[in-house]
Amino acid sequence: TVPRPRGVSISMASYYQPGAKFRCLDGTKEYPFEYVNDDYCDCPDGSDEPGTSACQNGKFHCTNAGYRPTNILSSRVNDGICDCCDGTDEWDGNIECVNNCKELGKKMREEADRVRLLQEAGYQKKLQNIKEGKQMREEKKVELEELQKSKVDLEASKDEMEARKNEAETPEKEAKEKHEQAWNELVELKKAEKEKLRAEIAFAELDTNGDSKIDVSEIKVHSMFDVDSNGEVSDEEALEHLEEALEADLEHFTLKVWPNIKDVYKAPGTESKGDNQDDVEENKASSSDIPEVEGYDDDDDYIDDDDDDDIDDEDDGYMDEEVKEDTGNNEEEDKMPDYDDETKSLIAIADEARQQFTEADNNLRDTENKIRDLESYLGNDYGPEDEYSILKDNCYEYTDREYTYKLCAYSRATQRPKNGGSETTLGNWGRWDGPSDDKYAAQRYENGQGCWNGPNRSVKVHFKCGTENRVTSASEPSRCEYAFDFETPSRCTAPPNRSSDDIHDEL
Amino acid sequence: VSRENFKTCDQSGFCKRHRAMQPGSSPYVVLMDSIKIFESSTVELQILNTKNNVRLLLQVSALKDNTARVKINELDPIKKRYEIPVGDALVGEPKLQNMKVLERTDGSITLGFEDNKILITSKPFRIDFINNDEAVVSINTQGLLKFEHYRKKETPPAQEETADGQESDTNNEEQQEGGDEAGEENKEETPQEEEESGMWEETFKNFHDSKPFGPSSVGMDVSFPGFEHVYGIPQHADSFALKTTKSTDPYRLFNLDVFEYELYNPMALYGSIPVMMAHNEKRTVGIFWHNAAETWIDISSNTADKNFLSKMADLVNGGSNEIPQTDTHWMSESGVIDIFIMLGPSAHDVYYQYAQLTGTTNLPPLFGISYHQCRWNYNDQEDVKNVDANFDLYDIPYDVIWLDIEHTDGKRYFTWDGEKFPNSEEMINNVAAKGRKMVTIVDPHLKRDDNFAVYKEAKDLDHMVKNKDGNEYDGWCWPGSSSWPDFTNPEVRRWWATKFLLDNYKGSTPALFTWNDMNEPSVFNGPEITFHKDVIHMDGFENRDMHNLYGQYVLQATSEGLLLRSENKERPFVLSRAFFAGSQRYGAIWTGDNMGEWGHLKISLPMLLSINLAGVTFSGADVGGFFKNPDAELLTRWYQAGAFQPFFRAHAHIDTKRREPYIQPEENMKIIRQAIIARYSYLPLWYTLFYEGETKGIAPMRPLWVEYPADKNTFTMDDEYLLGTSLLVKPITEQGQTGTQVYFPGQNELWYDVETFKLYNGGQSVYVDAPLSKIPVFQRGGSIVPRKLRIRRSSSLMVHDPFTLIVCLDKKESAKGNLYVDDYHSFNYRRGEYLHREFTFDQNEFRSQSVDVHGNISTKEWIEKIIVVGLNKEPSKAVLNVKGKEPQILQWEYSSYDKELIIRKPGVNIATDFSIQLS
Repeated sequence: TVPRPRGVSISMASYYQPGAKFRCLDGTKEYPFEYVNDDYCDCPDGSDEPGTSACQNGKFHCTNAGYRPTNILSSRVNDGICDCCDGTDEWDGNIECVNNCKELGKKMREEADRVRLLQEAGYQKKLQNIKEGKQMREEKKVELEELQKSKVDLEASKDEMEARKNEAETPEKEAKEKHEQAWNELVELKKAEKEKLRAEIAFAELDTNGDSKIDVSEIKVHSMFDVDSNGEVSDEEALEHLEEALEADLEHFTLKVWPNIKDVYKAPGTESKGDNQDDVEENKASSSDIPEVEGYDDDDDYIDDDDDDDIDDEDDGYMDEEVKEDTGNNEEEDKMPDYDDETKSLIAIADEARQQFTEADNNLRDTENKIRDLESYLGNDYGPEDEYSILKDNCYEYTDREYTYKLCAYSRATQRPKNGGSETTLGNWGRWDGPSDDKYAAQRYENGQGCWNGPNRSVKVHFKCGTENRVTSASEPSRCEYAFDFETPSRCTAPPNRSSDDIHDEL
Repeated sequence: VSRENFKTCDQSGFCKRHRAMQPGSSPYVVLMDSIKIFESSTVELQILNTKNNVRLLLQVSALKDNTARVKINELDPIKKRYEIPVGDALVGEPKLQNMKVLERTDGSITLGFEDNKILITSKPFRIDFINNDEAVVSINTQGLLKFEHYRKKETPPAQEETADGQESDTNNEEQQEGGDEAGEENKEETPQEEEESGMWEETFKNFHDSKPFGPSSVGMDVSFPGFEHVYGIPQHADSFALKTTKSTDPYRLFNLDVFEYELYNPMALYGSIPVMMAHNEKRTVGIFWHNAAETWIDISSNTADKNFLSKMADLVNGGSNEIPQTDTHWMSESGVIDIFIMLGPSAHDVYYQYAQLTGTTNLPPLFGISYHQCRWNYNDQEDVKNVDANFDLYDIPYDVIWLDIEHTDGKRYFTWDGEKFPNSEEMINNVAAKGRKMVTIVDPHLKRDDNFAVYKEAKDLDHMVKNKDGNEYDGWCWPGSSSWPDFTNPEVRRWWATKFLLDNYKGSTPALFTWNDMNEPSVFNGPEITFHKDVIHMDGFENRDMHNLYGQYVLQATSEGLLLRSENKERPFVLSRAFFAGSQRYGAIWTGDNMGEWGHLKISLPMLLSINLAGVTFSGADVGGFFKNPDAELLTRWYQAGAFQPFFRAHAHIDTKRREPYIQPEENMKIIRQAIIARYSYLPLWYTLFYEGETKGIAPMRPLWVEYPADKNTFTMDDEYLLGTSLLVKPITEQGQTGTQVYFPGQNELWYDVETFKLYNGGQSVYVDAPLSKIPVFQRGGSIVPRKLRIRRSSSLMVHDPFTLIVCLDKKESAKGNLYVDDYHSFNYRRGEYLHREFTFDQNEFRSQSVDVHGNISTKEWIEKIIVVGLNKEPSKAVLNVKGKEPQILQWEYSSYDKELIIRKPGVNIATDFSIQLS
């Protein structure tokens, strides 16, 4: 070996020439060679003391024959701890170091072999993962392209179907409206007749003296006309019901009086106080609906008095419908007759168009969803070679003393107590979170359930080379910040060239 | 803080009674004929309360070292009043010295010792301590003496309403306590004295204090004529110079666990030391109120009573100027009045006088004053291993890694969580292999679980604190239902100490040390989060009598346990949260659960100055703040401050983010690392200062006025301080600050920036740049500071390393410094195995010599470098002279710009006398 000062590596030996002056390696200063390793720091870069602890910034080189050479901080020279396996860092006799480089070397080689085997096995799987990942990406890409193409067609198809639908719906609508209008007119007619009949009957019932006129006294005997519910029907109330006529003949009654009393009217003998009130309320509810809806205004106190809020409005509306339906059922036994054949065929044509449109629309939506899924997949980062895509949509569990942890890759991480209890979300997929020069070493799942007095839970998943995909540990190094270790072939690196003996690189 | 959890003076019956007293109407007179003199050093006189005819016994003694003692007890109490046993707060029986009766009249007596006079006046009773014809301390000048004698309860004719006044709204709770206090209820009064509120029972929130012995409080005023500033009575989160309490509550001394304590506030905290110093340009005096019961202290500014003082000969030096005076009013719930008056005249003298009474801080093992890494919690062995490894990876020194409560099996102290720490010995050994130590927490509350051996044993031995009914006291703390050993009992302390034997504390090793937390004690469901006052300790005394001592007893027992473990060979290390006068003898304390906020960083200075002034010199604040998450800037500044405080530990609450130095942003990490390295480089200075502290009682961390007593600018200064006499420290405690105004004391002093050697003249205030990387620290011209500049992983790996001596010259180009060296861990120094060296630089000659011929030890430590700063002329020759050796020429480098001379490698062993002649 080349003679060289303590703590200097072979490659640096030439800078330390006995007899010559020593120039600090940073070139700043020059000293007698005796200043090298004299346990006093002269050079600003510490290079005059490679073998002592004199310089704060020095490095000590241990050869570690049988193991691997190492540079240690010169502050670890002669500090009473054997840092180099060859023990050369502790030369002042304060402590006896055993040279265990051979054992360490052996262990290291064994470990290196183990790691190599693991790496090799893992790497084969990784290649497979890469292949599958790439294939998957290709497939998805192709699929996406196809879908995007077909999407254009589907959009066109949908537009066409929509046009057709609209085209078919116009005559259908006209025909239906015509039919319905005819029917409605008929219904109105029938209704008017029926009403007229009811008026006549009522007139006969009210006309107790049979003089074909109804006068105030005939009105006053009926409590249903007691508008202010004071127990008697006053002249005014009676007059009001008679629309200011002292007496009403049938025509006046039918046209003016009846429309106003028909809803409260009960055949004499069937009326009672309760019924009367119910009827009044019902009447109020239905008739008040129209002005109130039209004049609806949040700021209008008057309306607010009647209708506290939207829900009441809806209730009122609902009741209205029921009321109408009721009367319809009672009074209108007839149903609208079927559409005529011509209309029916128009409807059939429109139905067909509608169905086709719905189908086309669904197809388009389907495709759009698929495209979104594919884009999301392709937008995700599965590693430089898609080697991590294999993890997507898979979940991995790990159970320790207290909890079962679950990592669903690219989705979320959870924790569930073993003795029962609810699941806690520790984090949702966030991002790759390795160091800047090794981004794919870790993933972060963030914004999990909030912690009392602390941050939202989060998980950092550290990837390590292994032959299987599995969580190997879960811990909470800081309150509500979790750490998982995850073994996966995808983290394995290519085994080094076997011909090289430089095991340094492997570690 | 939740203030409603803690009493105000108004809610504390005795405080309210004392505070309501009006000055100038004292009923107490001294019966001059009752005089007795003992051993020519103690005078006894009776004091009569003319309102109720109760007699008190006054004892006035002269003590060695310019100290006097005044004790007042009941002459004939119906029940023995509690007195703190000698040896507990007091280190031993104070040494008496001769005192003469100089003059006696009908109305007064004048005693003399050393150059002091003690004037006792009969009517009204007062005592004046006079030095050089100036009164410097006066007692009962305002007539606030109030001594509540023990009295019998008269059986009430019928049950009356429960407590009156502010307690009346708590009837419901009181009724839960059952009918017993119905019998105790006593509104009958002795004929002479009126009954006042809260005398026979008291209720706070839903806590009832049964007060079976009735009123027992004592109080008196102490005045400091001529003094505008008083200091001490820690622990409070307040300014160093104490404030007048005219518009606030009095300062309160009552050991309490105060959650998220408030700043600038006289509320009680975890520790209590009833010691006060008063300082003016001419002198420093102090008093020690030797009482461990709840104590309140009012402070007010006044002018001296010239009418009275002028009766004393030559009292006022001519002039009609008013003499400022600070009045203090001391009120304790129980015990006796026992005041030590320390007459200085210098601050160093008062430190020494107080140290003679309560002892000094034992020299800590070197690791104790190094950097400590703590967190609630390092979770398991793997976690400990990783933290340890990361410090090495980032090349940051640390000495001790701590385990908080989670390391135990269900908060059963002395046990381990078997899952997380299956092999604690191996873990400790791995840490110890790098010269490091570990600390585990051992709190005084014991989980009430018969399967927990320590609890079972304490229970079976009847060692527990009892409640008022005589049953084992049961309260809530970390483990849930808990009981507390009665540490006031020496037998219990001896029992506790054995728990630390390696055979008893399974999984411990000699490298494991101890942390006593929650020893106020903290009782989660107790009144004010502590013991009920009527719990019973040894000899039937109540917690009321000595509450403030309980925590110190825990600390003492623990410290004795570590001594027992090493057969008195190794210095113990124990950290305690509660403390009292004398705690310095047993371990370190810290300022409790502070917050990660700038205000808490800033307050750490006055808090520590105050605690240090009161003798507990091994003290620090949690670096980073316990609660909350400090940002990187605050954490960095806190490390810089902590690196120059006596006890240097980072700690964090379990809910905070991890914040170890190595996970900080790189810039901050590097700065924090530099701060820690600075701490390690100054360990020789710290160690020397702690040695001087053990021998002289002086604190390493001092206010400026201790060294510059006549400089009025320094009297209220508490944002900068001195380490010893050589370093001036002004940490940055404000967010975003990149510079600070530094006051450089001493008209003729020179101060040098320790990093750049930039020179500043004394007697002025200068703005100094302090970017984030800068800690404003300055070395005094005229001082020599020993440092070790080699960076090791822990302090014990530095023990053979060489010294660099930093010689900063004064205007006369001379300097002086000290270095103390021993084995850094054992008690062998007490057998003479140490070196105490003195370095001088004068007339171009550097000398190193022993200043203590009793000390000798062989060490490998040597001197690698001497840096002389402020040398105006480059020498032409440097010759090393060692006795018996040829003179040796040394090399040097000189910078005329910095006036800095670096003497290269004297290479002399530190034990060797030598000189270096420059010519």
